[in-house]
This record gives sequence, C-alpha cells and structure tokens, in this order.
Amino acid sequence: MQVRNPLVMDCGIFTASYEDDMAILFHPAARLKVLFILIVLAAFPLVANPYYVGLANLVGIAVIGALGLNILTGFTGQISIGQGAFMAVGAYTTGILMAKLGLSFWLALPAAGIVAAMVGAVFGIPSLRLKGLYLAIATLAAQVIIEFIIIHWVGLTNGPAGIVLPAPVLFGYSLESDTAFYYLILALCLAAVVFALNLFRTRPGRALMAVRDRDLAAAVAGINLFRYKLTAFALASFYAGISGALWGAYMRVISPEHFTIAVSILYLAMIIIGGLGSVMGSIYGACFMTLLPIILREAADGISPFFPQIGNTILALQEAVFGLIIIIFLIFEPEGLAKLWKNVKDYFKLWPFSY
Amino acid sequence: MKSRCFSLAALLLALVLAVSFAGCGGGGGSETPGAGSGGDAQTVKIGGIFDLTGGTGDVGAPYAEGARAYVDYYNNKGSGTKVVLEDIDYAYQINRAKEAYDKLVKSTGVAAILGWGTGDTEALKSFIARDKIPYISGSYSEGLADINTCPYNFLVAATYSDQARVALKWAKENWKESRKPRVAFVFNDTPFGRSPVEDAKKFASELGFEVIGDEVIDLKALDATTQMLGLQKKQADFAIIQGTSNLTATTLKDAKKLGLKTQFIGLNWAADEKVIQLAGPAAEGYIGVIPFAFPYDQVPGMGEVKAYLEAKGKKLEDVNQKFVQGWVSAKIMVEAINRAGTNPTGESIRAALETLDGYDTGGLCAPVTYTAESHRGSEKVRLAQVKDGKFVYLTDWIGYK
Repeated sequence: MQVRNPLVMDCGIFTASYEDDMAILFHPAARLKVLFILIVLAAFPLVANPYYVGLANLVGIAVIGALGLNILTGFTGQISIGQGAFMAVGAYTTGILMAKLGLSFWLALPAAGIVAAMVGAVFGIPSLRLKGLYLAIATLAAQVIIEFIIIHWVGLTNGPAGIVLPAPVLFGYSLESDTAFYYLILALCLAAVVFALNLFRTRPGRALMAVRDRDLAAAVAGINLFRYKLTAFALASFYAGISGALWGAYMRVISPEHFTIAVSILYLAMIIIGGLGSVMGSIYGACFMTLLPIILREAADGISPFFPQIGNTILALQEAVFGLIIIIFLIFEPEGLAKLWKNVKDYFKLWPFSY
Repeated sequence: MKSRCFSLAALLLALVLAVSFAGCGGGGGSETPGAGSGGDAQTVKIGGIFDLTGGTGDVGAPYAEGARAYVDYYNNKGSGTKVVLEDIDYAYQINRAKEAYDKLVKSTGVAAILGWGTGDTEALKSFIARDKIPYISGSYSEGLADINTCPYNFLVAATYSDQARVALKWAKENWKESRKPRVAFVFNDTPFGRSPVEDAKKFASELGFEVIGDEVIDLKALDATTQMLGLQKKQADFAIIQGTSNLTATTLKDAKKLGLKTQFIGLNWAADEKVIQLAGPAAEGYIGVIPFAFPYDQVPGMGEVKAYLEAKGKKLEDVNQKFVQGWVSAKIMVEAINRAGTNPTGESIRAALETLDGYDTGGLCAPVTYTAESHRGSEKVRLAQVKDGKFVYLTDWIGYK
C-alpha cells in the first residue's frame, strides 16, 4: 500500500491504453470525488427543507440553459442575446402541447427541444455573414421577434394571460412535488453535462472550437462553416428549449413576462462569470447568478435588525452590490469562476513548491 | 502571487457564504411549519411579497409600507392574535416571486400572504390553491376573481375590469354631444396592463362607444409622444389608463405638450398623489378611479392611521393613497385571522374571510363582502378629478350595474 499526499493527485499515474488516455475522470480520486458529489446530490432533497430543494430546481434549470449558451458563445464564439427567447419557444411548445393538445410531458419535452432547435437554427443563419457585435444585434432581433409573436399571437399562446400547465405525470405518479421534480432536473442536468463534456472530445466539437478560434483557418482546414455554425445554434437552442420546458412544467404557468431580454442577459452573465468555453464554468455561473440575489437578500435581512433605520437602503443597495461583485470577479478573474477554482486547486496541488 | 492571494480570499468568501447559507438552511428547517406555534400569546406568521425596487416600485413601496404599518399598529394594540409579517422584495420578477413564495410557505411557514402584482399572482395561483394559503394581492385582475381556479385569492377592491366599466358608464352618462364618444386604451404590455382591456372594450361597445384602439406605453417610459400623437390622430374623446403613477404622469405631460383634448381616466394604480406631483399642471382635469380613501379624506377609518403615524412622529401628509391601500389589505387579512379562532390555518382564515359581510373599514374602502361563491370584495369605486392639484370626488361610491 502506497502512502501518498492526498493533495498531490496527478503524479505518478501512467496509462497503458488509448481508452485510459481519453478518460474524462483521469484519476481514481477524481472518480471517487464525482461519486461522492453524485451521492450528495441524490441525497440532498431527502435531508433539505423543500424550499432549498426548490432553489436547487431553479439552479438546475439555469445550468441547462447556461450550458447551451456556453456551447454557442463560449465554445463556438457566436455571441447570442436570444437565449431567453429560445427558452420561451421551449416553454411555449410544452405549454401548447400539454395544455391545449393534452399530450404527455414526456412527448412535449423532446418536442420543445426540437422546436427550439429549429427556431434557433433559423435565427442562426445570419451568423455566416455576421460576427461579434453585429451578430449580437441579429440575435437580439430573435429576442424581440419571438417576444412579439408570443404576446400578439393570442390564439396560440393566450397572449399576456399565459398558459397554465398540468403537472407532469410519470407512470400515474404526478411529479408535483419539488423533490420529484428535483430528480427529473438532476437526471437531465447530468445528461446535459455529460453530453457537453464529450462533445468537445469529438470531431464536431473540435470543429466548433476551430470556428471560434479562427473561422477562416477552420474553413481552409475543410470545416463547413455554415453547417457547424447552424449546428451550434441548433444545439444551444435545444438546450434552451429543454430548460424552458422544465421551467414551464415546474412553474406550471408561463407568460411572456418570464422570457424577456433580462433573462437573455442573465444567461450571458452566467457564462461570462462562470467561464466562457468551460462546461464546469456554466454550472458555477448558473449557481452563482441564481443564488447571489437570494444570499444578498438573506444577508440584508440578517443585518437589518442591527441597523433598522437603513433597512430599505440595504434593499436598494442589493442591486448595486450584485453589480459590484460581478465587476470585481471580472476584473480579478476574467476567465470566470472555473478558472478561479482551478487556481485554488493548483495552489494546493503545487504547494509548497509553486514555482 | 497577487492572483493567488485573491484566489484564497475568494475561497474564504465562498466558504463563509456557504456556511452562512447552510446556517440559514438549518434554521429554516427546524422551524415548525404552520401557524400558531406560540405558547400563551398566540402568534401567526403571514408573508408579504412586495415590489420595492422593481417596475412598479413607485406604487409598491408605499403599499408595502402601509401593510407593515398596519401590522405594527395592530400588534401595539396588544389584543387578539399577534401577527408577524415576514416580507420579501421580489422586484416585480415572476421567478423571484415564486422563490419568495416557496421560502414563505415551505421555510417560514406562513398561514397567509399579502401579495402584489398581476403576473406573479396569476403565476402562483395554482400553488396558492394547492397549499391553501389565503392570498390578498395588490392586483385586482378579473382573472383572480374566478373562484374555481383561485379558491384562496381574495380581492379587496373592485376588479380592474369593473373599475374600467364604472369609468366608461360615467363617461357615457356625462356625454353631451350627439355623436358616439370615441374611447382609447392606454396601458403597459404586462398581464397587469392588459388585464381589463378586453372586458372594457366589450363593455364600451355595448354602451355605444366607438373603440378606436390601443396605445402601449412602458411602465418606466419617460416619453409617450408617439402614443399621444396616435391618440391625437384618432381624436380620442376618452382614454382609459391602466398603469402606475410614472406611466400616467408621462402620458399626461406629453398629452398636454401636444395639446390633446382627450379626457384621461386612470384606474386605481394610475391615480394617486404622485401623479399630480410628477405631472404638475398637466394633471389638471385628470380623472381617477378611486377604490380607496386619500389620507386627507375625513373618514372615521383614517383616525387610526393618523394615530399610528403620530406615534411614529409622522403626519398624514407624509403618506399617500397607496399607503392606505396596503393598510386596508393588511387590516382585512388581520381581521380574518382574529376571526379564525385559536390556531388559525390557511383553511380557517379563508373560512373567516368568507364571514366578512359588508365589513366596514371606516370608509377607507367600500364595504367588503366575501362569500363562499365570490371573493370579489366590492364592486364600487369613486371617481375623482384633479382640481388645483388635488383629487376632488365627482361621485359617491358607485358600481356599473
């Protein structure tokens, strides 16, 4: 039995096959860590207050949406301010199929992803000609057009009144409770993460990154830019559609107010804070942006008994603090939370010989 | 080196946050859900989901202040069940409303909730029915009056649709010319803004109005010239406004600038002292649909508001009509909690609310009646017109029927 410093992980592991070389979880300790995290995630709703399970559900939905946007913006370099609109397409597809046509959630969910993917691909067409800020404005158009259609196509979407969805049913068991929904979201989240992690180890994934790094060079190397850019838009929108569908089924009511440009910007902020071009970063960013306002509110509540006269000021300050924290993060670590976490790990890994 | 220090600082910060958050979790989890866990003096927790900083914060903040003030006033009186109000600012965002609702119901364990907007109350209605939480919202949307889908929602004033109908009926009765009067609708593109529009248009056509169209203005808009040019072109005789103080003031100012002859009539949230304050002389002649009393009204119910404010070193002039609305909403909820007997629960508070029959708030609003068949508190409002920078009543309490 070898005795090793538990903090020094990556030293002295040698692989003997290509399969081992390609493993995502390279080190046995990493496998243990992931197993541990999975057990914690699975046990979480059994021990936590339902309110915290509800929060976890919101985070999970955000993780899927943020992952999708990161595939498009972080990995393929196609900026998009339309993620909220593509979520709306998913949510409304689910709402219309379930509430108006009486279909099961299990049919509506993939349909939501597919419809959103198709709509996303259509709005991705300008990406062949437009780049950077120009593309951002083109995707902004998607946001505005889709929102307009939802508000004004009253016959299909009920307009501003919104649609009320029935709870998803699995084998006659209604997934109404937060806990049941938690496991659904957890499963889909894991699938989304595993798919994304593997995508960027495949040829199409590499092609997407080549498009991001230098699209002209990628084209010279034989990558069909049009196809891959549209694929990225479709994939990102598929994720958004699933995220929107889950949102609708969880909230049980959808209205155009849910999917404004503020949502699109929030998701963009998630991936920038979390780390562009990082799968784990999408998760960190989604957690951070979803939970930060709540943590700030709790903190304000905690302070207000000691300073009752400034209670309302703290409330107003919350938004400012929210912005400030984001700015500080971006100044000190523009590569996001994922890089920050890596720095922390590296520090311990290399200690005490960090140079 | 620098970045490493920062990394460590960030890690520490994250740890502190995580620990404090977990601490909150433990605290929340260990509390007994449900009401009335107190010993001798019975205590009931109720929740508040208010907008202090969001799109409707201009009217939401005084409303929340009024609700808090009443609970404070009531607890200081020291009789009956003690009420603890736990309120949360949700900044007029539906997802945050859901989160706040979950916290109040699942973690804090409230027996009833004072809510706010149309969009979020609509979004929460199925949960409200499931969790059996009596819910008095700041929204008087017609959709919330449907007892089948909203068995636990209660409205303390006439619905927006009813308010618009009263305004239209009054406008028609005071119409002197022989041609059909032309009416337009000015609103913001939210569930709140659109709530009365369909019903009002239908009623207007029945009354013999010519309905000439819609003008959509954003809640925080600083310019409504385009929309006012639209009204000018269509030669609207009347325009019904569904929005908040900010939107209304913008509308009135731009209408005055362009010299419109249109008579503007604003529903509840579009009519308060703030409109006059913001619009100045442009507010002259503006008519408001007023379901609640102004602080300067000489009504018996204002006595307790005055007493409370004076005890806090304030005057009636420091608050506005939206404060009174919050006060009344809390008052009705607390009245029901007192009537619900020992250990009030969601169900018993709802039953107690349904015993309110012509409940008189001392003139702060029209008498409120709830039955098992209808949770429309009242169908009556007053109309008031701005004269010399002050709302002056044109009518007594009237309905449209």
